[in-house]
Amino acid sequence: MLHVEKLTASIGDTPILKGLDLAVGAGEVHAIMGPNGSGKSTFAHALAGRDGYEIGGTVTLDGADLLEMEPEARAAAGVFMGFQYPVEIPGVNNMYFLRTAVNSVRRTLGEDEIGARDFLKVAEQAMELVEMKKDFLYRSVNAGFSGGEKKRNEILQMAVMQPRLAVLDETDSGLDIDALRVVAKGVNSLRGPERSMIVITHYQRLLDYIKPDFVHVLVEGKIVESGDHTLALHLEENGYAGFVNHDLDDAPLSGASA
Amino acid sequence: MSLGILPSRSAALEQVDSLSLPTKRDEAWRYAPHKTLGQLTFGPAASTDAALADIDSQIPQLDGPLLVVVNGVVDAGRSRLGALPDGVSLVSLADAADEAADVLERVHEEADDAFSVINRAYGTGGAVIQISGQQSETIHIVDVAVPGAEQNASSSRVVIDVAAGSSAVIVETRIGSGDSFGGSNVRTEISLAADASLEHIILQDLPATQIHLGRVDVVQAANSTLRARLFNLGSDYGRVAYYVHLTDEGAHADLSGLYFGFGEQTLDQQITVVHGAPNCTSRQSYRGVLDDSSTGVWNGGVDVRVGADGTDSEQSNDNLLLSRKAEINTMPRLEILADEVSCQHGATVGQLDEEALYYMRSRGIPAEEASRLLINGFADQMMDDLESDTVRAWITERLGHANV
Repeated sequence: MLHVEKLTASIGDTPILKGLDLAVGAGEVHAIMGPNGSGKSTFAHALAGRDGYEIGGTVTLDGADLLEMEPEARAAAGVFMGFQYPVEIPGVNNMYFLRTAVNSVRRTLGEDEIGARDFLKVAEQAMELVEMKKDFLYRSVNAGFSGGEKKRNEILQMAVMQPRLAVLDETDSGLDIDALRVVAKGVNSLRGPERSMIVITHYQRLLDYIKPDFVHVLVEGKIVESGDHTLALHLEENGYAGFVNHDLDDAPLSGASA
Repeated sequence: MSLGILPSRSAALEQVDSLSLPTKRDEAWRYAPHKTLGQLTFGPAASTDAALADIDSQIPQLDGPLLVVVNGVVDAGRSRLGALPDGVSLVSLADAADEAADVLERVHEEADDAFSVINRAYGTGGAVIQISGQQSETIHIVDVAVPGAEQNASSSRVVIDVAAGSSAVIVETRIGSGDSFGGSNVRTEISLAADASLEHIILQDLPATQIHLGRVDVVQAANSTLRARLFNLGSDYGRVAYYVHLTDEGAHADLSGLYFGFGEQTLDQQITVVHGAPNCTSRQSYRGVLDDSSTGVWNGGVDVRVGADGTDSEQSNDNLLLSRKAEINTMPRLEILADEVSCQHGATVGQLDEEALYYMRSRGIPAEEASRLLINGFADQMMDDLESDTVRAWITERLGHANV
């Protein structure tokens, strides 16, 4: 499904990703963990196609070269990124935004557009999944939403877009335990044999709710260790110190609620 | 005109030959195209026999009373003045002269400029609207400029009187015909009696070859409410100046607008609100979107006179520049001569939010459509409180996007 080889990313003269390799099979959930500044978010944005990076290496999804594509083409190819900081868009109605997104992808794929009435049903199901009130759909995208509402809105979008590959960037940050439960429930219900996920997190906490098939440790722009979910538990106990060559001025892993 | 020449008109006619046009040194006219203003030719209004294209496609289709003015002359055939609601008097200015001489002779505190003198001299056509009671039908005044060979610019007046405790919604749509140079000079005079309420909307959409000069003088009595909405969209130079005088306690003026410029357009809004009595409130909230080489001007003033204690005013002007050649000149002005006053103002100038564009594109929305959604989102907020869905639909259609 997703093949990442020797991926590099830099901003100006500053290298951030330094040759990242990763293979994600269909239906698999991979967690990427790492200390602050290790390149986790850059990896997510490199997959989604953000401007401003010098990119090297190869990334293919189902054989298609993602790095050649604009962000909207990647979305049409099945990439969905859940933002760590979802963007507020005043004046653009959430429902209209969602339907425009779905229909843009359908148009690109040569499929018929979905009408307002049919779309409402799709949206309402997704709303139920993330326990959102109906007025959510008629507010401006993320404008004035609480941190938890924004993250739920990300999962709502994912449920509506039905991506092939979901990349969730620090979806747990800023969430209290109830919101975390709702978000995790949404993510788990969207797991399936045809959908792969990359869950990026600093803390092991999220992985209590979303059990990954594989865990990778990203340090200084490279994956330095891979294992099953027990690797996350090891990190919980011992921190990232064993994987880096210098002292970490990092927050403790356990009990943190960033 | 049955009354003959009004005193103010004869005085204006005497002045009109010796007028000096505004220059760059006049703050309120600083960004006007002075050379082309001098090429406008005005004269006494005369019925045009020029074939007028269908204007229905250019204006919102409102159901209520309609008065159409073409080149300063009321076009009875295109107007719809039968069966007016009780409490609405809507007559051609020429016919109103006898009974409404005092209304037509109203003197405004704000000084005349060359174009308001020209308007008084030649603006013998237009509408006189007198309202009593709560009116639910929207009244529509349409001004059409059709540049002619003899004179390329027209003048007309709209006089609005809202009686104590009464309310109405009045839309003025200003358009033009043809693709030659010319323009219109429209003066609106509004008087709101105590507890009266008016929503007054200007839709300025002349062709890009023409110039529009609009001036609105408002006098507000105690506890009256004005909601002035300007959609300044058309013309090579499209200007609307508001002078609002809050003369009695508790009056409230709420002015807002949207200007949306393309090509070489200059869209100019000049606003002065005078707080002349205690405990009045005013709001000015304008947004601009400027593309290509267009220029926006927002010059918004609040003038708090001696004794206008307890004044509460807010001004905001937010702009979106879509091109490196686009320009905005934003100038909030405040003069405060009273105590216990709260006056806030703010202005912003920005470009499309790159982060929001990326966010939308990451959801599959193509870059161009994402930009359009952002621009529309910014602009649409200025239409949220319009009473008329028909007007809102006309604006969204005019701005090239379907209503969400």
